[in-house]
Amino acid sequence: MNAILTLVLAGVAIGLGYGVYAKSIDRKIIQPDNSRTTPARMYMDGVDFTPANRNVLFGYQFKSIAALGPIVGPIVAVRYGWLPALLWILLGTFFIGWVQDYSSIIVGVREEGQTFGALSYRLISPRARGILLVFIYCYLWLIMGAFGKIVGYDLMSKPSVPLGVILVILLGLLAGQMTYKWKQDIILTTVVTVVGAFIGIWLGTLQGVQNLFSGINTALGDPGYKIFWSVVTLVICYFGAVLPIWRWAQPINYVAFWIVFLGILGGVIGLIVWHPSYPAEFPAFTNWDGDICAATTCPEGVTLGALGPLWPILFVTIACGAISGWHSLVSSSGTARQLEREGDALFVGGGAMFLEMFLAVLSLLAAVVGAGSLAQYAEWGGKAGVFSNGLAVFLSHIGVPESFGRPYGAVFLTLMALTIMYLVVRFMRVASAEFLGDRIPVIRNIHVGSLIALILSGILIWTGFWTRIWVLFGGSNQLMASLALLIITLWLASKGKNYWWSFIPFIFMFLTTIAALARTGYKSFEAVDFADVSGAIGNIIAGVLAVVLIICAFILAVDGIRAIIRVTRKEEAGAPAGK
Amino acid sequence: MQIPSRLWRFARTLQEILYGMTVYEWVREFDKARGEVDRLFTLIVFGELLGIPLLPPYYTLRLLPYVVPRFEAWRRSMLRERDLTELFDQEIG
Repeated sequence: MNAILTLVLAGVAIGLGYGVYAKSIDRKIIQPDNSRTTPARMYMDGVDFTPANRNVLFGYQFKSIAALGPIVGPIVAVRYGWLPALLWILLGTFFIGWVQDYSSIIVGVREEGQTFGALSYRLISPRARGILLVFIYCYLWLIMGAFGKIVGYDLMSKPSVPLGVILVILLGLLAGQMTYKWKQDIILTTVVTVVGAFIGIWLGTLQGVQNLFSGINTALGDPGYKIFWSVVTLVICYFGAVLPIWRWAQPINYVAFWIVFLGILGGVIGLIVWHPSYPAEFPAFTNWDGDICAATTCPEGVTLGALGPLWPILFVTIACGAISGWHSLVSSSGTARQLEREGDALFVGGGAMFLEMFLAVLSLLAAVVGAGSLAQYAEWGGKAGVFSNGLAVFLSHIGVPESFGRPYGAVFLTLMALTIMYLVVRFMRVASAEFLGDRIPVIRNIHVGSLIALILSGILIWTGFWTRIWVLFGGSNQLMASLALLIITLWLASKGKNYWWSFIPFIFMFLTTIAALARTGYKSFEAVDFADVSGAIGNIIAGVLAVVLIICAFILAVDGIRAIIRVTRKEEAGAPAGK
Repeated sequence: MQIPSRLWRFARTLQEILYGMTVYEWVREFDKARGEVDRLFTLIVFGELLGIPLLPPYYTLRLLPYVVPRFEAWRRSMLRERDLTELFDQEIG
């Protein structure tokens, strides 16, 4: 099959999913009414509630939901072969992904801009809000573990990468200075900083610079240099967490956006120009365990363990790109409060999700046709590095040399991860102050709160087994999706509307995620070996996290089923079921 | 005439989407910062309306005509229930 055919297939899925299925749900069940005042117009306060144009909001929604998840998930999942991963991306988005994103916006809009925290409290049970916060904290911690390991151990430890990353960060700071202090034009700021960033990435590829960083890595030895780069990563996160958002996070994100955007654009053009066929050496299906080294001869020294049974592991390995619970928070807390008209919800929520699906497909192609064979995929490490190498192959077809494309792809991914990680540390800081601030006032201090978050993250990065962390990260994300789908189902039931289109996805996501977490928890505890203290700590943390998430999920399921029974009984009795 | 008009509309749409992906977040942040300061100022001057006496009524009375049009939105914004999930108006996965 040709790679372009895959893009066409994704286009058909978008046409049918968005143009037929989603529009029919929108028209027949939700029935948006553009004459109804949305919270953005009703409560316009210039802070939280502000109406925005649908196209602007679409861009905002897409940029908000498309982070590293839709790129890394498919890269890892192709270990089952490209077909299962592709099917889950297309079908997951078709039947579940857009349902959650779109409905979260609609529920937020119709419930006066209430957040999912408030809605879970009201619709499910008072303790559901607490469970949501547990999910959130576990999710944040796991993000730091998963992304921190990718950045510190895989990307920054490549000698051609650190200089580019450091210079992009400095140029981001310059962008903030130019905009906020020197009051320069945004176009001038963009040109200066983005061109400078590309020059910085190119400087990083020079042999002398690479020799310098190779020397540092050699002097520190393995794993010393990996720990060193992960500490550097955490220091960057520290600055991102304690400095004002306009000084650090926002301008760096802005410059990083252009690096990422131009990379994706170039990659798509390169892929179209190249239009390769799927390589025979990369089969559609490898085996049910995602054990790539059982399907091919892995290069010497490469150990990629089996992922686990296709069901349920595949469905949590690819979260963003098919369905991600985090989108529901973005949609309800951010987008729903900016929606100008109800009729825009499908375009903004559903449309952005389908576009994210396209990004996930592109990432899958970077792994499959970019690598060209399972052996090459294994040699590239089977994680984020595969994407940077695959992107370099795509870019080479529009004249960008691979010697530049590879570090560019790695800097691109590092920036994507970093821009998320320092926001996560900020959130962890606020969350810990909220949980413990009354009992331990010192935690309210931003430096103390940030350091606690960074130490916890460091422990996970240095001791955790990456594949298990990734599965747990996907699991906590998908549990959040289950919670969101449950809230949507309850809301639809309380309004007397057909709810099966969200209830069936809830059942599927819930059972799949519980199974994935139970297996990962069991495997983590099974792998505990006190002869290797570091590995034992990582496995115990992973196992405990899995158990905590499972317990929370069961409490949620019990409360949710009780709430559904309550709501449907009220409806049958003819009482207003909304409250 | 039909085609250039459609092309213009398409270009305009792309421009708006790109704006949403890039500068809109900055603009929102500016608006939020301004709104927070505004909200705080009103609280200091008109805290009495929420049961928090902070300033002598003389200054309050002089500023009253300027605050009245925004009073409802301000009061709702101050008294609105908030929780941690409000922080997450950006995907981090």
